[in-house]
Amino acid sequence: MTDIVKPVAPARAFLSDDFLQILYRLLAALMICTMLAVSTESFLYLANILNVLRQTSLLFFIASGLTLVVLTAGLDLSVGANVALSACVAGTVIHQSGQPVLGVFAALATGATVGVLNGAMVAALRIPSFIATYGMLWVLNGLTYWYMAGEVIHGFPPAFRQIGSGYLLGLPTPVYLLVIFLAIGAIFAQRTVWGQEIYAIGANPTAAQLSGIPMSRRLLLVYAMSGTMAGLASVIFLARLNSAEADIGESLTLPAIAAVLIGGTSLFGGVGSVFGTFVGALILTLVLNGMNLLAVNSSWQPLVTGVIVILAVWLDTKARRRRL
Amino acid sequence: MKSKERERDMRQGIIYVGLAGLVTAFVSTAAWADGETIAVFTKNQTNPYFQAVRVGADAAAKVLNVKTLHYIPTKPDSIPEQMSQIEDVVVKKPDAIVFTPVDYKALVPGVEKINAANIPVVNITDRSSAGKFVAFVGADDYNTALETARYLLKTLNGKGNFIILEGVKGALTNTDRVRGFNDALKENPGAKLLASQPGNYQRLQALQVMENLLQSYPQIDGVLAANDAMAMGAIEALEGANRSAKVIGFNGTKEAVDAIKAGKLLASGDYNGFLQGCIGTIIAARTLRKQPVVSEILLKPIVVSKDNYQPYETPVESRTCPSWEQALTLGK
Repeated sequence: MTDIVKPVAPARAFLSDDFLQILYRLLAALMICTMLAVSTESFLYLANILNVLRQTSLLFFIASGLTLVVLTAGLDLSVGANVALSACVAGTVIHQSGQPVLGVFAALATGATVGVLNGAMVAALRIPSFIATYGMLWVLNGLTYWYMAGEVIHGFPPAFRQIGSGYLLGLPTPVYLLVIFLAIGAIFAQRTVWGQEIYAIGANPTAAQLSGIPMSRRLLLVYAMSGTMAGLASVIFLARLNSAEADIGESLTLPAIAAVLIGGTSLFGGVGSVFGTFVGALILTLVLNGMNLLAVNSSWQPLVTGVIVILAVWLDTKARRRRL
Repeated sequence: MKSKERERDMRQGIIYVGLAGLVTAFVSTAAWADGETIAVFTKNQTNPYFQAVRVGADAAAKVLNVKTLHYIPTKPDSIPEQMSQIEDVVVKKPDAIVFTPVDYKALVPGVEKINAANIPVVNITDRSSAGKFVAFVGADDYNTALETARYLLKTLNGKGNFIILEGVKGALTNTDRVRGFNDALKENPGAKLLASQPGNYQRLQALQVMENLLQSYPQIDGVLAANDAMAMGAIEALEGANRSAKVIGFNGTKEAVDAIKAGKLLASGDYNGFLQGCIGTIIAARTLRKQPVVSEILLKPIVVSKDNYQPYETPVESRTCPSWEQALTLGK
């Protein structure tokens, strides 16, 4: 019995593990930074650092919601497709109404709706999340392709574009959003009862259910949050790129999953953190930034990303085995 | 407990019957219409270029009184999916096929299946590396890229620092376009290629790559992007950094034409998907009617710029296909 209860033990026990895990990652990020600073002088320019942070932010928004899903031992493969659909819906709403605020709401609503549907499939219909969200990916792609019919929606009001490409007191606007959502996400996951229940569901669903955690509602919440974050990401995307098209999603999903994995969240659930995902997204962005700055041949770039994902997960597995 | 199980079984039963009904409905709407039918294969539903090809094919079909049926992989550029669509088509036997392979080598076995079924097939856009075709209609990426890059270099008097934004590594279109860009740069001793980095035909990736490159290189005069989406991404990055450079793209999309008009984009290489769809379909229909055709029409490379963008403002849906005689003059 004590075994089963262990996953819902006081939060502190998890934090220390998480803390070490994140420390290693921050060290890794620092190492990459040092290497880049030595090999290319432009890396340390303030403008470049701000670039890296701004590029990290978009990836982080998608990956942060996904982290909560992965913590419950689920997976949301529909995030990229969700960003694409939400961006196209928001783009249309802004063009039709001339009201960016309505567009933002439309994006968040679309994202959240998709998330709730995913959650319903997983929590109520008991479809494995991998399959439910994989199916959703196709449904969303289909909807978006049909709706856009090869068109591109482009040209948005300058005020709206500030969300993505503007600056506030010398810092890019998305970086502020990054800090805000990082804080909210970390506090929610680590310091609230609901957050801890999400960890518990992932660590041991049977124990979680027996201890009275409302599984269905928490699962629904987690997928809804993932969907909403995808909706938010679509707003940033629109504001940064000044356009929406149907095929933007596909190239977003796998990097988001990579960021979650590099950040130390286990696909088996119960282990990981939102902050870790931030560091994961940062490492991924730093590496790409570095390869661009050093003008590394384009063929090598995906390979390097792949190796980093494998290394990060392998090191985690090793560390965890030692601890047990 | 037992009745609950039965209820569940019944519910499942209803769902299966419903699904079967849906499938039947879908298949019957997709059934062959009477008369001549031409199956049109394109690579994906997302690229505006192929949308233009399909609109062109439909426009020609309307004039010629034939029916088109479009086969598009649901997953963009999916080789296995196009292969299975070919297998379906060979069974259904349309009168003719207009075909763009998603991969010029990997789909050769598919083309052989079409040949074995004795269905006449016209190859458009990407030239298949083997197989028997009635004709090929296309414009080559290499020459169009070369001409567009030359236009950029001419504008900059043949000198400056340049960046190439590559598309998907390994894609034929990308290989040829990047080769065209490089060759144009090599013609000008004053032109220096700073970096050639991948944007995978994606706007966001191009934007981020460009943001990064802007840090390393204080002076960038020209950007050669292998498609319009990447060119637009690069322009966003330049504007964001308060820098300026002449940017060229590829495909002559609506968005690019708007940007050319606004003076943001210098030029876009175009090989006119609408015309390729038109001419491919015309050739297929002429073959069926035993009218003479030619074995190859290579459209002249077109560089859309501030001097000639006006006709491109007409949306493809309201353009008209050329006659056969006109089409023959469009080749080089």
